[in-house]
Amino acid sequence: MFKKILVGNDGSEGAKKALKTAIDLAKKYNAELHSISVEEGVPQYAATIGEVEEFRKEANDYFQKINDDAKEEAKIAGIDLYIKVQAGHEVETIVHYAKEGHFDLLVVGFMGHSKIFGRVWGSTSQNITKLSPCTVIVVK
Amino acid sequence: MDNQWFQAALWMGLAFVATLLSVRIAISIALLEIMVGVIGGNFLPLQRTEWVNFLAGFGSILLTFLAGAEIEPQILRKKFKESVGIGFLSFLMPFLGAMGYAYYIGGWTFPQAAMAGISLSTTSVAVVYAVMIETGYNETELGKLILAACFITDLGTVLALGVFFANYDQSMVFFIVITAIVLFLLPKFTPWFFEKVGSRISEPETKFIFLLLFGLGGLALMAKSEAVLPAYLVGMVLAPFFLKNKTLSHRMRVTAFTMLTPFYFLKAGSLVKLSAMWNSALLILIFLLVKIAAKFVGVWPLTKVFKFAKKESMYTTLLMSTGLTFGTISALFGYTNKIINQEQYTILVTAVILSAVVPTVIAQKWFQPDLKKEGNDV
Repeated sequence: MFKKILVGNDGSEGAKKALKTAIDLAKKYNAELHSISVEEGVPQYAATIGEVEEFRKEANDYFQKINDDAKEEAKIAGIDLYIKVQAGHEVETIVHYAKEGHFDLLVVGFMGHSKIFGRVWGSTSQNITKLSPCTVIVVK
Repeated sequence: MDNQWFQAALWMGLAFVATLLSVRIAISIALLEIMVGVIGGNFLPLQRTEWVNFLAGFGSILLTFLAGAEIEPQILRKKFKESVGIGFLSFLMPFLGAMGYAYYIGGWTFPQAAMAGISLSTTSVAVVYAVMIETGYNETELGKLILAACFITDLGTVLALGVFFANYDQSMVFFIVITAIVLFLLPKFTPWFFEKVGSRISEPETKFIFLLLFGLGGLALMAKSEAVLPAYLVGMVLAPFFLKNKTLSHRMRVTAFTMLTPFYFLKAGSLVKLSAMWNSALLILIFLLVKIAAKFVGVWPLTKVFKFAKKESMYTTLLMSTGLTFGTISALFGYTNKIINQEQYTILVTAVILSAVVPTVIAQKWFQPDLKKEGNDV
């Protein structure tokens, strides 16, 4: 049923659960499994390039670690995990990537902003579900 | 409040608040320090003591050096004609436009009008870079060309600041000769010297750079020029070395952003008078529009000459209309040297800050070129 699966991975508890589910589904349907991590919070209106570069370095180091762990977890299950790290707004970037990559399933964890923020603007997973071009599974 | 440690605590407290806000809302620390500084200067007993002025001055010099050291010479060489063409006109047109408006319509004196022209001539390479990172545009040829052009614009601003109000006498000749010799020797001497002394906790490399900046800054001051001029030039000639030596760059950034630039940006904000901002709101808006319009006159036709697509032309021109660091450095130079008064300083700094935000938002919202995003495949 699913041939190309994308999982959002920000290293949170919700994302870990989503990864587990995505690996299971990839195994079950013999699907290709990809993961995307979004570098959110690039400082806007910076004074020097250095300020932006330092932020990116810290973010890259963080994502390198969580993605190494994710790859290892997938490998144990006999799945190859293809990884992408990209700067931008979380919802916009994941939706854009899912569209560009012609994925047929998007798996995300149920995590997001604070309760107040979530009530006003909707949580990250809610917004992804609304805008995604393909079927979405939100793992709780 | 005469107790210097309480004063220091107040300044550092404001820097700390700005840092926490920056982490939370992903706005640059520089912009937030300016804004927190505005509050501190208008509502808190914040004193600009001699030591605060020294740290702020040192912060602006180091900031300028770091900005110069971020230039990628390869890109400049590769797209020399286009980047110099766009960059030079991007400096010249707003310089003339803002100076002309301030002098002929605003009724400012010529030195004050020149100060307005210099402050509003800048393009913020860092603001542009941050936008490009999010779009993946920085990896494209066009993105690299825009960044190279930004450096040329900033060089124009720094040169204008360094030569416009200087004394043309023996001390200027001395400053030029010594600076030229140092700039000629540095690219060969620095890598050799740093390899000899090695990287140590006592930071001989950083101290050597500080020594250069202070020494050349002193000569610049003797010639009534500005210490940021040699700082930018030293950064430029050492850029290839610093681009390779990421650890040293990181250590210098940590030094700058922890202890020096907070004092510079907080001070720049603390001098902004809220009452003047309110009273001169229309003039601030006009200066902002003059800057953007002049950038359009200078940059937009050239993007057409170099065959940019419609959206790319608008996007490039709007991004080249941004300004922040060198705009505030120029305005603060004008105020410190009594060329402009505090109201004029407020007008210029507010227009500069708005120029960081307004063109960026318009460019991102309506003129974002369609690009396939690039990221790191692992």
